[in-house]
Amino acid sequence: MLLNRDDWYETSRDLDWTLSYVDPAEAFPTSWSGTDGVPAEAWQKWEEPFRVSYRDYVRIQHEKEAGVKAVSSALGRAGLFEKLDPAHVAASQLHMGGTCMVEHMAVTMQSRFCRFAPTPKWRNLGVFGMLDETRHAQLDMRFGHELLKADPRFDWTLKAFHTNEWGIVAVKALFDDIMLNADCVEAALATSLTVEHGFTNVQFVALASDAMAAGDINWSNLLSSIQTDEARHAQQGFPTLEVLMEHDPARAQTALDVAFWRSTRLFQTLTGPAMDYYTPLEKRKLSFKEFMLEWIVNHHERILEDYGLKKPWYWDEFMRSLETGHHSMHLGMWWFRPTLFWKPNAGVSPDERAWLREKYPTWEADFGGIWDQIIANVQAGDMAATLPETLPVLCAVTNLPLGGACAPHEVMDHKTVYNGRTYRFDSNISKWCFDQDPARYAGHNTVVDRFLLGEIQPMDLGGALAWMGLTPDVMGDDVYSYAWAKEYAQA
Amino acid sequence: MAMFPITGYCVGDHIPHLVAVDTEDTMDQVAAKVAHHSVGKKVPMPAGGPVYDVFIGEQKIAADVTLGSLGIEPMEWVDVRPREAG
Repeated sequence: MLLNRDDWYETSRDLDWTLSYVDPAEAFPTSWSGTDGVPAEAWQKWEEPFRVSYRDYVRIQHEKEAGVKAVSSALGRAGLFEKLDPAHVAASQLHMGGTCMVEHMAVTMQSRFCRFAPTPKWRNLGVFGMLDETRHAQLDMRFGHELLKADPRFDWTLKAFHTNEWGIVAVKALFDDIMLNADCVEAALATSLTVEHGFTNVQFVALASDAMAAGDINWSNLLSSIQTDEARHAQQGFPTLEVLMEHDPARAQTALDVAFWRSTRLFQTLTGPAMDYYTPLEKRKLSFKEFMLEWIVNHHERILEDYGLKKPWYWDEFMRSLETGHHSMHLGMWWFRPTLFWKPNAGVSPDERAWLREKYPTWEADFGGIWDQIIANVQAGDMAATLPETLPVLCAVTNLPLGGACAPHEVMDHKTVYNGRTYRFDSNISKWCFDQDPARYAGHNTVVDRFLLGEIQPMDLGGALAWMGLTPDVMGDDVYSYAWAKEYAQA
Repeated sequence: MAMFPITGYCVGDHIPHLVAVDTEDTMDQVAAKVAHHSVGKKVPMPAGGPVYDVFIGEQKIAADVTLGSLGIEPMEWVDVRPREAG
């Protein structure tokens, strides 16, 4: 007689054995499990709400896959891609290049949960997480591959992480650390709870909504399908936090505070420009700040309160950075556009600028003057004056430009000396992250460090572009050929 | 005489740049090299013309001092501000 699911489910996901031939400390070294300071029996309390069996999982995933494939096939035949706004297409290229291989890295992280997590329930859920992430990487590659015929930039879906493109190096720096380098406990707090349960909403819900509005049903559908998986396997964070709060709350607070800021900086780079500058004005739903406030800030505050944690010490600086950080990153990315593998939209036509002023009351005072100078040079036909001749200086934690987390009048030197070497940071908060665990970050050379060490030849901007893998067929330029700047002449 | 990299910040820009200067450069020459990446590109030309002061930390460095005499580390943060009248 076939047992009902409820008769066998608990046993199936809690199946463990008592090790007798191997020392448990060797089978589950704390360097991988992250369980230092937490007694083994504490993990018996680890619970997740998704009661999914392998059979259920396969059935549901099969349905999801069929849905994505059907939409993709139908839209491919309809030729919808060719009708999309090119600025929006750039957002999808940035997303694919920036995230596809992160999904693949997440397979490794989930497989670490499968092997080294301190409870069989977690190891069981990790299996589904690993399968999820495999699916996401494959979905992205399939999407990119189908669009190769339309634009070679989609090649960067796979290629980006095999280059030294500076933005991709910044993405790698974070996820190498919190996915590949982190033990299970830290990965669950930094990746599952902070990134997947929090920040991916910006990328996978907000962008999915904008993509749908922009007519990119295929990409929107893909993002939404991925997010249904994230919502499940992100649950690995909460029970881990619950256990850690009983035994080492200080570690939980630090791990979350570091992860929250580092994630903020990355999403200010990946998602902020896409939402507030690349999405066509009439298609925008919420500003990046509004979405962050609704989906990330409120959400994170609630989690902190629910689990007895404090707001990060830097909360006021973080809130201010919501007004400035992604604008500074966008300005820098547009300025250094030959270093991108997509064509950015400046997004500062008179109408777009009015929208920015409405959404960000300090935008004009913070960034308007710089854009005015750029506009004047475009109008004068002095394009050389709108292009970089050197590199920015990069943060030793985020690998993003110094000054890129704030407004121009807030730029200042943040530095730490560690083992005789000076490290510089994009903010006081990134400096604090470094100071919590200097050995983690020290010795990792930024693109500029590599340039100064002579690893990039010839030692000029052209040499740097070649080193980053940027070729003329994909190298970024203004997506509308500067038409937005000419609108000012007519105003 | 040697090439020397600094973190050159032209006040008013949104980021500092990697700037190659020379140990024999005076502060006026250092300022001009830092300003080259910002003034007239992202920062307007100062009302008083392209004349600047160099600050390291809070300290203003005299215009004729050479970089090499300061004993600073490579990639030191150098602020460049329009010189105030008077």
